[in-house]
Amino acid sequence: MKILIIGFGFIGKNLVKTIYQKIELIKRFDKDFKIIGVSDSKGYLLNEKGLELERLSKINGTSDYSECFLKAGSSLELIEKSGADIMVEATPTNIRDGEPGITHIKRALTIGTHVVTSNKGPLVVAFRTLKNLAEAKGCEFRYEGTVAGAMPVFSLINECLQGDRIVKISGILNGTTNFILSKMYFEGTSFEIALKEAQERGITEKDPAYDVDGIDAACKVVILANAIMDRNEKFEDIERVGIRGVTSEAVSLAKRSNYAIKLIGTIDKNLEVAPKLVPVNHPLCVHGTLNALHFETDLAKELTIVGYGAGKETVSAVLNDLITVLKKKKEQ
Amino acid sequence: MRFGLTLALVDRPGQLLKALEPIAKNGGNIISIIHEREKTAGVYVPVSLVVDFQAYENYRKAREDLEEIGVNITKSEEVIERANITAVLIGKLDFKRIVETKIKGLRIVDFEVSAPTSREACIKLNIEVPVELVDEAIMELKRISKEENAILVSSI
Repeated sequence: MKILIIGFGFIGKNLVKTIYQKIELIKRFDKDFKIIGVSDSKGYLLNEKGLELERLSKINGTSDYSECFLKAGSSLELIEKSGADIMVEATPTNIRDGEPGITHIKRALTIGTHVVTSNKGPLVVAFRTLKNLAEAKGCEFRYEGTVAGAMPVFSLINECLQGDRIVKISGILNGTTNFILSKMYFEGTSFEIALKEAQERGITEKDPAYDVDGIDAACKVVILANAIMDRNEKFEDIERVGIRGVTSEAVSLAKRSNYAIKLIGTIDKNLEVAPKLVPVNHPLCVHGTLNALHFETDLAKELTIVGYGAGKETVSAVLNDLITVLKKKKEQ
Repeated sequence: MRFGLTLALVDRPGQLLKALEPIAKNGGNIISIIHEREKTAGVYVPVSLVVDFQAYENYRKAREDLEEIGVNITKSEEVIERANITAVLIGKLDFKRIVETKIKGLRIVDFEVSAPTSREACIKLNIEVPVELVDEAIMELKRISKEENAILVSSI
């Protein structure tokens, strides 16, 4: 199958590196697997015979590849003329209007290209529209990497809990705020110092408000509510309180009663992102940059998964989606 | 509705059976019976029962019937299942507003206040409310926190 990678930032580059490292494994599912196109803000690369993976894994931008590079060529143009089978949409998240991701995904699905994405924006803004379009066009639309990075959230629900009704989902959906609150919990530091350390480690977004005001977690709550619980929620529907106001005294008061304060996203009859007291022996009480999701269902009752929600680990989810599409199409 | 009854029964065979008849007749479902022999007073043994009645009227009638056959009821009250809520409130909050909250049956079990060495004070509350009023109590705490510009950190 012919693959396109739209967006050659952190995820795009790490995906290419991982594909290069694991090409033998991938070829077991599809011997004709090749990346034929890659785009970024400078332009795009297109070679229908397949781009060289080793070379691609060493470049910083599409213009470094030299051959096959079309300066200022648009991603949309690449999607339309490449004839690819699968598009990986990995452009930066924009939760205001979901662009340019929405346009890329709509275009790809319209012309029958399967879509794998790690971009939250399009799902927050237009999940239902994109899902309906994918179904109408008979295309795969997979988005495991959008929520909780490497944790198999949608695969778990869609593959392993098919007969269950999900009653409630709650969890730590942002690793940066968990890092900050864990620092405050273990070292008694203030929010400001813990945030500074997170910034120095490069684990915050450019605008830390995205993490600490619960915006990122709220986006994931919307996606989970719509994709798992079949709701039709919008970002504005979320009751949201961030962690800026959480003081070291509050963390220490909670700790004395065997609780840790964590930023928790909750989906039941209400949708909420807020700092909560989590008993230290509760499975959601994980520390550092870990994410954790707790499901309450009618049959399995309670189930918790823990893992890394951002960074290179997200590539695991994107690659799994990609392999899932390869396997499904091979079976057809 | 669940009620707790303590009956003072004469310590003779058949007395308990006699006392249970009016309860059964009025649809009472006995959840537990405890003979409190260590509290025997003369010929009387206190027997504590927890009984579910369909309505308050059934309970009232059962009490009347018990008294009619000469059973002494030394204690009788509705058993309210209570839930514990722990929360931390951060900000300059008027604690009186929580104490005076209109949630029926709310009881403050304990609280701990932290002196503000940073910009905001905070208080940890441990309250008890009837189980069916947990959501209402949390909503009320949320409302008060919002109005006082404080942050409510409730337990999951």
